[in-house]
Amino acid sequence: MVSLLKMPDSLQQHLRRETNEPPNEPREIAVEIDDVDFAYGAHQVLFDVDLAIPPRAVTAFIGPSGCGKTTLLRCINRMNDLIDGARLTQGSIKIDNVDINAPEVDVVDLRRRVGMVFQKSNPFPKSIYENIAYGLRIAGVKKRRAIDEAVEKSLRAAALWDEVKDRLEKNAFGLSGGQQQRLCIARALAVEPQVVLMDEPCSALDPIATAKIEELIHQLKSEYTIIIVTHNMQQAGRVSDSTAFFYLGRLIEFDATEKIFSNPGEKRTEDYITGRFG
Amino acid sequence: METFAPDVSSLPAAHPRARRLSADAAIKTFFASNAFVAIVVLALITVFLVREGFGFFGENLKGIRLYRRAGLEYVDILRATAQRHSLLSRELSQIRLQESDANALAAFDQFATGFSDAADDLSGIVSDTGDQALALREQGATDPNAVTALRVAETRFDQTAPVMKDKIDNLIATAPQLPTARAQHSFEKWKQNARVYLASFPETSQKLHAWNPNEPVPAYRAITSFLFGREWITASFWQDWYGIIPLLVGSIMVAAVALALAVPLGVASAIYVSEIAARGEKSLIKPYIEFIAAIPSVVLGFFGIAVVGQAVRAASHMSIFHWVPFFPISERLNVFTAGSLLALMAVPTIFTLSEDALRNVPRGFKEASYALGANRLQTIARVLVPASLSGIVSASLLGLGRVIGETMVVLLCAGNRIAIPDFTQGVGAFFQPVHTMTGIIAQEMGEVVRGSIHYRALFMVGLVLFLLTLGINYLAQKFVARFRMTIG
Ligand SMILES: Nc1ncnc2c1ncn2[C@@H]1O[C@H](COP(=O)(O)OP(=O)(O)O)[C@@H](O)[C@H]1O
Ligand SMILES: [Mg+2]
Repeated sequence: MVSLLKMPDSLQQHLRRETNEPPNEPREIAVEIDDVDFAYGAHQVLFDVDLAIPPRAVTAFIGPSGCGKTTLLRCINRMNDLIDGARLTQGSIKIDNVDINAPEVDVVDLRRRVGMVFQKSNPFPKSIYENIAYGLRIAGVKKRRAIDEAVEKSLRAAALWDEVKDRLEKNAFGLSGGQQQRLCIARALAVEPQVVLMDEPCSALDPIATAKIEELIHQLKSEYTIIIVTHNMQQAGRVSDSTAFFYLGRLIEFDATEKIFSNPGEKRTEDYITGRFG
Repeated sequence: METFAPDVSSLPAAHPRARRLSADAAIKTFFASNAFVAIVVLALITVFLVREGFGFFGENLKGIRLYRRAGLEYVDILRATAQRHSLLSRELSQIRLQESDANALAAFDQFATGFSDAADDLSGIVSDTGDQALALREQGATDPNAVTALRVAETRFDQTAPVMKDKIDNLIATAPQLPTARAQHSFEKWKQNARVYLASFPETSQKLHAWNPNEPVPAYRAITSFLFGREWITASFWQDWYGIIPLLVGSIMVAAVALALAVPLGVASAIYVSEIAARGEKSLIKPYIEFIAAIPSVVLGFFGIAVVGQAVRAASHMSIFHWVPFFPISERLNVFTAGSLLALMAVPTIFTLSEDALRNVPRGFKEASYALGANRLQTIARVLVPASLSGIVSASLLGLGRVIGETMVVLLCAGNRIAIPDFTQGVGAFFQPVHTMTGIIAQEMGEVVRGSIHYRALFMVGLVLFLLTLGINYLAQKFVARFRMTIG
């Protein structure tokens, strides 16, 4: 059963316009969330979530606090495995058409393909260089040259290189909040993931740092599939191509961002966006 | 209701607020006074230790000066030579144990007796002059000329030494051959030592001649003989020495063994409990380890004597361990026995504090690591432990403080032999009995005369111990402070 919500035509058209793709070819799907129910122990928090996330585009998850955005995001790299009793009770999540919860899938490999940036920036108490090198080192990369190159590449990709290139050996805690968050993005990029998950990455940042990260997200989407949870409607409007609105653990509406914000199909979406609740 | 609310709250408001304030103030005063009492007690302890202990140095200096003036120091030069001789005799009996051939043994015994007898004259000189010196000390050695009567000893030594040397040279030249290779090897080594000993006679004679009873003893010797003295000898007929080194070495060795066992154990179980164990296991292991802290140390001491010491010695006699160079061990109570029991006492401290430190590592570090594809072992080794390292170090330091200060277990299990272990045995030194700073205070404080030099010496040991633990705790606090900073 293919849900209508999965990838609406309007979204497909929007994405084609963005990328100048020929029409009538079905869009490929980066992450396919198929009819997912999720529960923490006996407490079910996601119900029948059905969603197809387009590749090399930014998808925003919006909705009031506690509606399950973070939970869904953390299903995609199986971070919920770390929580006792948390599990998918129904449905599946597929990346490249492979069910990520299948027993033969290596969770370590999955997490290298699906990077994550957290709400509160969390650099390790190590040098800037070692923060970026961490993902490579644990993957067994030993060559100094390879690591040096990856560090520079990901710092450049995160628009941080010019600010820190002279103090790579300094502790990451000496950076400002916005720089720390960009460092965390660079750290996630260093292992060359396909998908980057961002859970309210700007919620603790000032407007200038936020603008920098939004600019960065905009640049990254040509190479990466980005899923961002945000509480900030303007931010969703500015950075994302598609937006999914959740309410009480259910996906209410998923469409091209401009459509969601200009002409939502659901009354509850409109109420939320215009600030009538949330 | 709402319209009434302002009226209701405005009138009697002063009352509860005033009461709350005074409660606050009371709590504050309570804690402030507690802290104050703690500081006062600490200061009193310090003052008391210093007051009781410092008299020691004056008396110690007096003792050392008398030691020189009465000529005991002079006699000790001779005694050292005699002691070297009897040590060599003892080594001979050790070598005898390695030989089994009856014929060779008869010849060897003759050799050993000959060697031992060669020292008869020397022993005679030592005991004669020793008696004179003791008599002099009895009188307080007030007459500076009396000491000259002692000095016939050097003439007697100069006469005896060549005779002794000839006798022994002869003995060695006609020494029997031992059929057992190992015994012969040890014997050859012994002969070398004996030659070195014989060659030292002229030096001894020189020392005797050069000795001057009127050379002043510098005041700092009162302190250095305590801090660097290698002998702790009390209530002896000869000269008492209060050197802290054997006790300090004993304490440090026992603590080193304890930490070497307790740190890996405590930290590993902290890691296990905080990161790996399921909730059920956690609720079993944690109270269990913390319960160890509640075992009275005297019970642990019993356990150490009856079980651990016994078991270690029995194990050292087992043939599968014969390859260990210093096995079998002869002493049941030794550094290792005491150290392993102290480790048991330190584990709860180290475990609890390390577990705290690990648990306080922000969740974000752990999540970031897992999200980058690290497995649990990598996350523990590369993120959690480094991030909580200063907490773990301070936990270990507090464990050390606990171990250094512990008395009952070492008193019961360390063997209480006041001597610096023989480090030429390498790791075997850790299987020899020692005495410790805490042990000696507990053992001797009850028997000493209040105010005597011995009593004061024990207080000085207490002071050293106190400063040591204070220093260790201070270091631990510094690490905790750093730990807070890196995490914050
Ligand atoms: N570790 C957890 N254990 C149990 N319940 C949780 C846990 N994390 C989140 N929840 C619950 O799941 C629901 C969704 O939470 P979350 O996904 O964090 O929402 P959002 O990110 O949209 O604010 C909430 O009701 C929350 O209480
Ligand atoms: Mg959230």
